[in-house]
Amino acid sequence: MATRHVIVGGGTAGLNAIRTIRAYDRGESEVILVSAERPYSRMVLPYYLGRGIAESHVFTATPAHLAQLQVQAHLGRRAASLDTAANCLTLDDGTRIEYDDLLIATGSSAVKAPVPGADSPGVHSFWTLEQARGVVAAIREGSHVVLVGAGFIAFTILNAILALKAKLTIVEIAPQLLPRMIDRTGAEMVEKWLRRHGVAIRTGATLTAIEEAEGRRRLRFREGEDLLADVVLMATGIRTNLEWLNGSAVRVNRGIVVDDHLRSSVGNVYAAGDVAEGLDLVTGQPAVHAIEPTAMEHGRVAGANMAGQDLAYRGSLLMNIVEVCHLDIASFGAWDDPTAEAVAAARPDRWAYRKLLWKGDRLIGAMILGMANDIWTTNDVGMLKGLVQAGNGLGAWKAHLRRHPFDIKPAFIASGTTARLLPETILGRPSVPVGQVM
Amino acid sequence: MKVLRIIPERCTGCMRCELACSYVQTGTFQPARSVIRVAPFEAHTSYAPYTCPQCAEGWCMTACPVGAITISPVGAKIVLDDQCVGCKLCTIACPYGTIFYNPETQKAFKCDLCGGAPACAEACPTSAIEYVEAETGDWLGVFAATRAARHHEMQVAGAEVG
Ligand SMILES: Cc1cc2nc3c(=O)[nH]c(=O)nc-3n(C[C@H](O)[C@H](O)[C@H](O)COP(=O)(O)OP(=O)(O)OC[C@H]3O[C@@H](n4cnc5c(N)ncnc54)[C@H](O)[C@@H]3O)c2cc1C
Ligand code: SF4
Ligand code: SF4
Repeated sequence: MATRHVIVGGGTAGLNAIRTIRAYDRGESEVILVSAERPYSRMVLPYYLGRGIAESHVFTATPAHLAQLQVQAHLGRRAASLDTAANCLTLDDGTRIEYDDLLIATGSSAVKAPVPGADSPGVHSFWTLEQARGVVAAIREGSHVVLVGAGFIAFTILNAILALKAKLTIVEIAPQLLPRMIDRTGAEMVEKWLRRHGVAIRTGATLTAIEEAEGRRRLRFREGEDLLADVVLMATGIRTNLEWLNGSAVRVNRGIVVDDHLRSSVGNVYAAGDVAEGLDLVTGQPAVHAIEPTAMEHGRVAGANMAGQDLAYRGSLLMNIVEVCHLDIASFGAWDDPTAEAVAAARPDRWAYRKLLWKGDRLIGAMILGMANDIWTTNDVGMLKGLVQAGNGLGAWKAHLRRHPFDIKPAFIASGTTARLLPETILGRPSVPVGQVM
Repeated sequence: MKVLRIIPERCTGCMRCELACSYVQTGTFQPARSVIRVAPFEAHTSYAPYTCPQCAEGWCMTACPVGAITISPVGAKIVLDDQCVGCKLCTIACPYGTIFYNPETQKAFKCDLCGGAPACAEACPTSAIEYVEAETGDWLGVFAATRAARHHEMQVAGAEVG
């Protein structure tokens, strides 16, 4: 009998696993997908909100694609419980599915700030397609949108809100914008930049309640004036979708604990993406990243192992990039490691700022701010990522980069980083494009 | 597959590859839109062109959330403009810094080997760029390291003399 792989969750990690299984076995095994939602990419939702793309563009696999990949799909169904002793998954409608191996890739959900009124109409999250549709319908030209939370996800939808010609106010409980992505100096620069582009900002503001106010929302704070909003968007955090695993033998810490093969504490159960606590490439420690590239790599490695390969994963590199009003903001690796040696430099006239973090002569993280039309910004973002990824000692080039943090290229090239990186692949073989799998 | 082999010792820094590339890629001569970039070494006394090595992993391609990067018939990783949403994930995923973002079109762009007839190789008067059947490689590493070491020695010598 053909091996039966069951994939739970059809997001980035799940789809990458399916494609990888098929790239190896060309359709020999049985693949069953159970997913609460149709496969789409969450990180593309902001472009749909900004009307840059049609809704149909967010889908990563249509039913026809799934059929072509010979996937038996249970869409709109949720996994309800897992019996690892019997190798059996039960769905929310009672359907029982037996498996040879199973991948947990159920991602995360948005969590609203726990204040009275957070669940009233007009207060939205922006995490699923369904929620995005709600926000698309709510925001009109001239609407006053209050974005609660100034983290990375909030920033990914900022351009879209402005493109809709809405008035935007950002409120953040922390004393700075993007507290988990950039340092204080960078955040101050971003704040100045956004104010210049007409965005109102309140940091250090603790929201206490949201009330109805003649069809609008009144936001109350511990200190300071109330705000009146037409639309409230909460980007106040996420939690992993793991409640259905309660009572199962799968070990969960901050996420599902996985080994370097993306295998959980149960040998034939794998986990990938936002739900998995896998190895961080830079720190060598387990971490939950909750970013797209990690979900993609996890999914591919898990898929390869499910397809019978014996593939160890080197770990994921934390990385984020977001553009707001043509200002690029990026950070990666151990950009906030307090024990690292940090070197920062700014060019305020060009809205450029960067910080390089070192352990000995190895670059372990970086933060970079710069104008999107400054071609060197993009160039350097990639090369800095390459230096962190390769993790090679830079010898004398460290001194160069300390003195000239805006002159990355000669250090990258002369340190032979290209030669170190070229043999690296995630699967131990050249990648196959999405459209050429089967 | 055929790749762009770069022989840095032959480069004179004339920048014709950048001009040719931007012309083919955008229809106008604007080196800022070129996807091959001439880098200076040894305090601008030597130069070498640098571009996408069409790496085996294709970090840009695998990172793209919407599958907007694919492999062309000549083996180049190429951006499908009608699929790209401009999220920039590829620009941070590529560890070589060789995929770019155009703020005007809001799309990523990179070397596509001009569909099999690279303009840079044709334009180079000294054959510092060749389009040949070969494994891709680190064409510049050793060259740049020696130039840098030489420059450093000269600086030290200069400091001792002066
Ligand atoms: C607006 C927005 C912007 C973002 N921007 C970026 C960005 O720029 N860069 C970046 O790196 N990351 C970004 N992210 C994060 C990124 O989208 C996630 O890290 C990524 O989607 C994680 O992939 P995943 O496969 O783990 O989970 P998901 O993509 O969330 O997929 C999980 C799937 O599981 C399904 N599911 C959940 N529970 C069950 C259940 N019980 N049974 C069956 N199915 C279930 C869900 O319906 C979904 O289909 C963004 C996210 C959002 C919302
Ligand atoms: S910018 Fe375009 S090509 Fe690059 S990852 Fe985003 S959608 Fe894909
Ligand atoms: S742009 Fe970068 S990641 Fe993409 S193929 Fe070229 S070198 Fe590889």
